[in-house]
Amino acid sequence: MRAIAAAAAALVLTAALMPPQPACAAFTGSAQLNYKILPTVKAQIIPNYASGFGPTGGLGSGSTPAPGPNAVANGGTVDFGNVVVGYQYLYKYAAQIKVQTNDSAGFVVYGEGATDFNGSNPVPAPATYPIFQTLYWLLSNTGNTAFSPATSFNRTNGNAIAGGSGGIDYSPVGGVPSPMSVVWSSPSAGNVTQGFDYQLRLAGTVPASQFNLYIVYTVIGN
Amino acid sequence: MRRRNVFALFGLAVLTALCVVSQADALQAQKAYKELIVTVVVTPSPAPVGFLQHDAAPPSAPAPAQVAQQLADPFAPLQIASSGAAWDVAPGGAVQIAQSTAQPTPVPVQFVAKPDPNANFLRIIPHTNTINAGYGTTTLSCVFEVFTFYTNSYKLLDWGYNTSKTSGSNSGTFPIENYSMTSYLSWAVPSLAPTFTPYNNSGPPGETTWTGVANQSQQRCIDLTLVVPNTQPAGTYTAVVQYNLYVTLP
Repeated sequence: MRAIAAAAAALVLTAALMPPQPACAAFTGSAQLNYKILPTVKAQIIPNYASGFGPTGGLGSGSTPAPGPNAVANGGTVDFGNVVVGYQYLYKYAAQIKVQTNDSAGFVVYGEGATDFNGSNPVPAPATYPIFQTLYWLLSNTGNTAFSPATSFNRTNGNAIAGGSGGIDYSPVGGVPSPMSVVWSSPSAGNVTQGFDYQLRLAGTVPASQFNLYIVYTVIGN
Repeated sequence: MRRRNVFALFGLAVLTALCVVSQADALQAQKAYKELIVTVVVTPSPAPVGFLQHDAAPPSAPAPAQVAQQLADPFAPLQIASSGAAWDVAPGGAVQIAQSTAQPTPVPVQFVAKPDPNANFLRIIPHTNTINAGYGTTTLSCVFEVFTFYTNSYKLLDWGYNTSKTSGSNSGTFPIENYSMTSYLSWAVPSLAPTFTPYNNSGPPGETTWTGVANQSQQRCIDLTLVVPNTQPAGTYTAVVQYNLYVTLP
C-alpha cells in the first residue's frame, strides 16, 4: 500500500515537472474547401418606361392614336387606347427589362402572352382573339415605325396564373418557356437593361371590342 | 384691235385649259388607303436533315460475356455515391444544377378596337403574314386578298411604301428597294392575269392593280413572287405595300 502511494506521488510529480504541451499540436493541418456559388437572377419590368411612350401609326385610319387612360409613366398598362381594325400601330417604350445576375454564362429572357386577347365590352364571339400575328415586339429604337420588322408574341403553352396577372406556371411543360419565345439574351453576368416597343397589327377581322392580356417575361440563367 | 382680239382669244384658251384640268382633278379622289405588311424571313439554304459521320467505326455487337453481365446486373460497374474525391458532386459535366429563374410582374396590354369606316370600300384580308424564303425565287399563292367597292367607277392602285419616295432616304431596303432598282417582290392577280409585276417603288400614284365599275364589288387573291439574291444577308425584313382606292366623284 505504501509502495503504491509512493508510485502515484512520483507520477504526479513527474507530470508537474514536464513542460506544457501545445493543446492541438497533434491535429494541425490544412483542409481544401471547394464550393460553388449558386447563380442568382433577378429581374424587374417597367411598362411605359420613357417619356414619349404610347401608340403611333394607324396611317390611313382617319384617327390619331393616343395612349389609353391606363397608360401611366413608369407603370400601368401598355394601353393602345382606341385603334381602328385593319391598321397597324407602334407603341413606343412599352416595357423595359432590368436583369441582375452573377451567372457568368449569362441569361435568356422569354416573353409570351399568358393568354390570347380576351375581349370584353362588348364580349365578342368568340371571346378571344389570337395574340399570334396580332401583337409583335421589337427592340426599342427611335427609328422604329409601325412597319418596322418585328417578331410576333406567342401564347404560352404553360398555365396562366390568375388569368396571367400572377404569371405563368411552366411546370407542366418542362419548366421553361418555348424556345420560340426568346426575346433577349446576354452571354455574361452583370446588371443590364433592354427596352422594347410593341406593334399592333390589326387584321380586318378583329371584332369591335376591348381586348386585354398579360405579357409574361421569364428570365433564366444559362 | 386685232391684237386685242388675239389676247382675248389667248386668255380664253388658257381659261378653258385650266377649267379642263381642274375638272379632271375633281373627278377623281382618293377614297381610302390601306397599308399591307408582309414579313419576309430570309434563311440560308436548307440545313441537311441528317448527319452521317463517315469516319466513325461501325457499331459492333457487345461480347456475349458483356451481355450476360449487363443482364445480371444492369448497373455494373458499381457507382459509389461518395468516393472521397475532392467533390461529392462535381460541378459541371453531366451534373445539372437547377437554373435560377425570375418572373417579374407581368405587363398588362390593352386596346379598344373600333370599326374601320373604310371597310365597306377597301379591305385587305391577310392569309400569309410571313414569307419564309431561301435564296432564289419563292412563289406563294393568295398571300392576301383585297376587297374593293364603290358606288361610282373606281380604280385600285398600289405602290411599295417605305421607299425613299415615301419614307425618307434611310428606307428603300430589301425587298421593295428604291426606284430605279427593280423590286424583288412582285404581284399578280391570278383571276385577272397570270403575269407577275414588280411592285412599283417610285412613289405615288403607283400602278393600277385593277379597275371597277359603279357598284362592283371585287375580292381577289394576290399572288406574290419573291426573289432573294445570294448577297442578301439572312434576317427578317418587312415589305410594306400601300393600296389606294381612287373613286370617280359624281
